[in-house]
Amino acid sequence: MQTTFAIEVDRVSKTYLSKRDQVEALNPVSFRVQSGEFVSLVGSSGCGKSTVLSLIAGLIPATSGEIRLWGERVTRPPRGIGYMLQQDCLLDWRTVKKNILLGLEFQGLKNRKTIAHARFLLRELGLAHTSEQYPSQLSGGMRQRVALVRTLALQPDILLLDEPFSALDYQNKLHLEELLINVLKKRRMTALLVTHDLEEALACSDRILIMGGQPGDIRRSLEVPEELRKAKPLHARGLPSFRPLFNEIWKEIEKP
Amino acid sequence: MKFLINRWLTRNAQSEIHADHLRRLRITDIWVGLTRTGILLLFLLGWEWSANAGWIDPFLFSSPSRIWELFLQMSATGELYRDIGITVLETVLGFILGTAGGTMIATLIWASPFLSRVLDPYLVVLNSMPKVALGPLFIVTTGAGFGSILAMGVAITIIITTLVIHSSFQSVDPDYLKLARSLGASRRQLFCSIIFPSCIPDLIAALKVNVGLAWVGVIVGEFLVSKNGLGYLIIYGFQVFNLTLVLLSLVIVALCATAMYQIVSWFERRLLHHRHL
Ligand SMILES: Nc1ncnc2c1ncn2[C@@H]1O[C@H](COP(=O)(O)OP(=O)(O)O)[C@@H](O)[C@H]1O
Ligand SMILES: [Mg+2]
Repeated sequence: MQTTFAIEVDRVSKTYLSKRDQVEALNPVSFRVQSGEFVSLVGSSGCGKSTVLSLIAGLIPATSGEIRLWGERVTRPPRGIGYMLQQDCLLDWRTVKKNILLGLEFQGLKNRKTIAHARFLLRELGLAHTSEQYPSQLSGGMRQRVALVRTLALQPDILLLDEPFSALDYQNKLHLEELLINVLKKRRMTALLVTHDLEEALACSDRILIMGGQPGDIRRSLEVPEELRKAKPLHARGLPSFRPLFNEIWKEIEKP
Repeated sequence: MKFLINRWLTRNAQSEIHADHLRRLRITDIWVGLTRTGILLLFLLGWEWSANAGWIDPFLFSSPSRIWELFLQMSATGELYRDIGITVLETVLGFILGTAGGTMIATLIWASPFLSRVLDPYLVVLNSMPKVALGPLFIVTTGAGFGSILAMGVAITIIITTLVIHSSFQSVDPDYLKLARSLGASRRQLFCSIIFPSCIPDLIAALKVNVGLAWVGVIVGEFLVSKNGLGYLIIYGFQVFNLTLVLLSLVIVALCATAMYQIVSWFERRLLHHRHL
């Protein structure tokens, strides 16, 4: 029996070319993510984590190798994926209500049903009261939640998250982690999270891919034990099996 | 009485210390206003007095009362308003056409990076060129009149607008573009929904600069063409040695230019009040 994976990265490498020089960002890497799985990508800064995400999102072409989503080869930004960055990238001149409809507008999918769904999401994430406000009137955590609604409004199957919480304070971060996990579980979405925060990776995900080197490589794939997976992000951090694993990953990343 | 003044100075205060703070701020405001007006009055009175006492030659430097009299006299016949109208029209058209044209060229260049590279040296040369030196060319091509003056106003603003707006298009945060593309934006949507709106603050800054530049272009144009308008009044007054006329025209130019600048500022506040800049 042949199962299709949500994400298949097949011997993909990336070299950035410019007039002056070339930067080898990624050695050929391969990994697969199953449907409904939450995978984190950790590693030292500059090892190509963001590059992997941009490649999967179809924003930049791979130098070699192939990326497939649900078995289909990615050549340009595919439909059905949501992409989030550290910066919320909300448009200052649009109200929250109009910001969350941006993707629907671009894809010509704005109709009564999709707008109602976007409103519903806004309510689900506790932002109903902000719909007529401008982004500059919101706090950092609220802005990132609006960005999440904007992404979810397109009803993606796969979320690609590039350090989405790293600009937030600790409390907001925990709050958003929990929110995100609930949203994902409810919709059985697949997620690939890039983070430099090992605690976050351990507390949120089902599996952790450890990257390293420059150009980057995948060093190890580590299953998160059942116990941690079941617990909420805040509680997982307090479980006895948390620290040893944390230290193990830490050592792996620290290796030259 | 003292009580009333104090109440006025501390209006809207929310507490004792807030009232103190407000009182100090407002007293400073009053002093700034008084000093400002004082300087102007002192200048005008000194000027008038020196001219009357013969310390400066009123034939060369005129005096406020002479300028005022000339103003009343020319207002009565209505010719002054015609000249003001023409110059203001030329300037407004010049800077609107220059800004709009520059933005359009910048958009074209953005749409085609190839064209951008091809045109780059031409834009640099045109930008470095003193545009008023093109005056004679405009006069032979469009005739000595409205057209060539307008051309001057446009020429002086369009190239710099193109360069400023194009570089503003290119300085849009790449994260925003990445994100918009992941949301499915086409290149055209990218431009209309993200790039152009994020450059509106720069566009307004360009508008503000262009108000000043267009005045330069139009006044120089009127110097050259010399038929009507405030620039014509200045050059004519100079030729017949009527310095009162020259000074009156200068005052009017200063007032009109300031008014235009204020209108653009008002426009800016309305458009940008949601952005934290
Ligand atoms: N657009 C680009 N042009 C050239 N080099 C780049 C570009 N983006 C990233 N790089 C280089 O590729 C390497 C990997 O970068 P990145 O994927 O951002 O790493 P990470 O997200 O893990 O910190 C770095 O050495 C970086 O300098
Ligand atoms: Mg990164």
